[in-house]
Amino acid sequence: MVNEVLFWIVAVMTVIPSLSLLFAKRPVHIAMSIVTVMVGLAAAYVGLGAPFLGVVQIVVYTGAVMMMFLFVLMLVGVDSTEDLKETIKGQKWIAFAGSIGLAILLIAVIGKVTVQPRNEGPVGDPYPIAIQLFEDYVLVMEVLGFLLITSAVGALVLTHVPRLKPRRAQVDVAKARVLAGADPVNKPMPGVYARHNALDIPALDPEGKPIEHSVSRVLKIRSQTQDGAEFRAQLEDPGHPGNVAESKDGDDK
Amino acid sequence: MNPMNYVILAAILFSIGSAAVLLRRNAIVAFMGVELMLNAANLALVAFSKIYGHLDGQIMAFFVMVVAAAEVVVGLAIIITVFRARQTISLDEPAELKG
Amino acid sequence: MNFVTPEIAWAPLLPIMIVLGAAAVGVLVESFVKSPHLRRVTQLWLSGAALIVAGVAIVAQWMALDGSAGTEVMATKITVDGQSLVWQLMLVIFGFLSVLLFASRTSAGEESFTALGSVPPGSVEEKLARRAGLKVTEVFPLALFAVGGMMLFTCITDLIFLFVALELFSLPLYILVALARRRRLLSQEAALKYFLLGAFSSAFYLFGAALIYGATTQTDMASIGIAVNVIGDKDGILLTGAVMVLVGLMFKIGAAPFHSWVPDVYQGSPTPVTAFMGAATKAAATAALVRVMYLAFAPLEWELSWMFWAVAIVSMAVGTVLALVQTDIKRMLAYSAVAHAGFILVAFAGLEQQAISALPFYLLTYGLATIGAFAIITQVRERSAEGGAGAEAVRLGQWAGLAKRSPALATAMALFLLSFAGIPLTAGFIGKFEVFSAAVAGGGWPLVLIAVIASAVAAFFYVRLIVLMFFTDIPEGAEDTVVVEQEPLSRTVIYVTAAATLILGIVPAGVLTVMEDAAVFLVSGS
Repeated sequence: MVNEVLFWIVAVMTVIPSLSLLFAKRPVHIAMSIVTVMVGLAAAYVGLGAPFLGVVQIVVYTGAVMMMFLFVLMLVGVDSTEDLKETIKGQKWIAFAGSIGLAILLIAVIGKVTVQPRNEGPVGDPYPIAIQLFEDYVLVMEVLGFLLITSAVGALVLTHVPRLKPRRAQVDVAKARVLAGADPVNKPMPGVYARHNALDIPALDPEGKPIEHSVSRVLKIRSQTQDGAEFRAQLEDPGHPGNVAESKDGDDK
Repeated sequence: MNPMNYVILAAILFSIGSAAVLLRRNAIVAFMGVELMLNAANLALVAFSKIYGHLDGQIMAFFVMVVAAAEVVVGLAIIITVFRARQTISLDEPAELKG
Repeated sequence: MNFVTPEIAWAPLLPIMIVLGAAAVGVLVESFVKSPHLRRVTQLWLSGAALIVAGVAIVAQWMALDGSAGTEVMATKITVDGQSLVWQLMLVIFGFLSVLLFASRTSAGEESFTALGSVPPGSVEEKLARRAGLKVTEVFPLALFAVGGMMLFTCITDLIFLFVALELFSLPLYILVALARRRRLLSQEAALKYFLLGAFSSAFYLFGAALIYGATTQTDMASIGIAVNVIGDKDGILLTGAVMVLVGLMFKIGAAPFHSWVPDVYQGSPTPVTAFMGAATKAAATAALVRVMYLAFAPLEWELSWMFWAVAIVSMAVGTVLALVQTDIKRMLAYSAVAHAGFILVAFAGLEQQAISALPFYLLTYGLATIGAFAIITQVRERSAEGGAGAEAVRLGQWAGLAKRSPALATAMALFLLSFAGIPLTAGFIGKFEVFSAAVAGGGWPLVLIAVIASAVAAFFYVRLIVLMFFTDIPEGAEDTVVVEQEPLSRTVIYVTAAATLILGIVPAGVLTVMEDAAVFLVSGS
């Protein structure tokens, strides 16, 4: 016989979350409710004398199938809420009516059946299941093998992207940079070779010309740079105090 | 209590699943509806197996689980492919196919 | 409880093992042969050879039958009898012709399948993949898996095993549909739609099988047939279960109102896949439907006949009327396929013995014409910007004056269309005649009357296309817009199917005798 309390727990645990399929907006919430349904069904299986199946249900459905659903939901964007507005007018009600009709029909025909369940019977432990599986159903098992190959091949065909461009190592990246005429190493720091080491002064190259791109773009956009003309003027003016001091230093040597 | 009640529960779950397939526009949610329908069939098989006292129903349910797993792999692969191409998995997007 | 080694007579399963084994080897070829070109050639030879050898094995078994009904491979699970051999041979032939189509390329070297299924259509990656010469050669093993699953489908006598085989041939089809080279968005959408509706209908099938198991404690067809008579108050769930099982099978046949996938999938799939699916899926599903009806549900004939009548009438009406208004040739043939599903179901009126020989013949003629017609569609192409062959010319207007561009193709197409319409001297006429006389013998004359009217209306749009091809001039300025390809593999398929359609229409006696010999089921004992 079947435990009545368990039945009602299972019924509540499966029907209510499964209604989220119809009314919940976020797919992730739906997926999590279906996980609950699967666990409830596993409990039902154990209660119906199928402990092996109960465990398989947990492993396969909550462990693999529903996690895969969640994974794909994450992939396509969890936040995508669904627009429940119907596009074909009245379709919603036809679908509702059809499904309720189906439910009523099924319940009516099933409710009419009166069977006396056999009280004793084999329990679906792994051992008896395995015996029967490989005695009576061994061909089905073999065909299932082909089914699994098909699904693996199919998933690869539809989702696997092979390497389409040659692999780029660090050496290739560096070579490409040099070829493109970019700086092979760091950009020059602003103001390093100049007489003035503020961030807003371009550095000077060995010929004494300013290197414009050594100054941050941001400062240029804000017009907060100096072009260095003032300092060049200093350089060229022999009477400038700074120059004098320098030359004195030179004399001291 | 009679295990027939579980079959009625299965019928209810089956109907909810089928309603989801018909109502929902999100491909993944519709697909979860199909999964619920397959699970409902499994519950019915296991309950009948209990009623008649042999294991065949349980073994069938086992097969259904394997088949469903394979089906999920292919189905989600198709959904991902469609998403990559269109950036949406709604069944209602301005479709190239006309009804 | 000790393990007893099950008794399985493996020998009759040889053809199926060859096909499925070759499919598995094909998957290995994918990983070990690196060059896409070499892989394509290897796969073509492998699958072609496997199908030919399987065909020879089937014929050899047929010869060896010698009056016996067949072999019970595994009690209550699989039976290989004359009936299933006929269907299997038919599926192998369809498979072989389709594999040739799968491999055919345009003169510009363009295949029907995309270079890489996993990249978005129109993306940079797709261009790179195309430039790298990649090919999705997995289509060959996938097609073999589908053929193997369909062959199994015709000889299984257990409802749950049937469910597994149903999925085995459906899953590869879902994938193949998504791999079109051109208009791949459409193709992927078709795959999604086919997949969701297919999974939905197989869930119905499964719940039906569960209810039948609940009503009869059995899932093998012969035992269900026996148990039906002694089920007491469980006839409600039995009948509901039977209807749900039939819904699942009728979905695969593409009968209305379970046809909503047909036009989209026929249009969206790569054309060779459409040819394969149109011919082979219908044949396999009809084979299973015959077995289920005659073995399991024969005692429920009266209760279920309303369903066959209703579905047949709706299919014929919907298919014929909607085919009239189509402007896309693939969609037109899709709706014509729905109408043909209706004609197939007409044969089930009364469950006459005659129908068991009429249906394989009908499906053979229909399948050959379908493969031939879709093969022609792959050959008529739009001219691309570079001047070579571009996308397939599927708008009806583009077919105007085809007879002037290629008289051979136009004649073959006309032959197939006449065969669809059921005009005498084509195979389709004999097929329809057989099916309708089976229905009349079973008391289904009102149904046959409707079917004849539907055929007459349907003849209108077939003939319209013939007129367009032969008696309409190529529109001004459109002389250069259509190119006719000369692909040897497709041409072979077209000529073979055209010859077969003609021969079966003129001298059908030999094949009909074989079908009649095969109209026996080996009922698995229990």
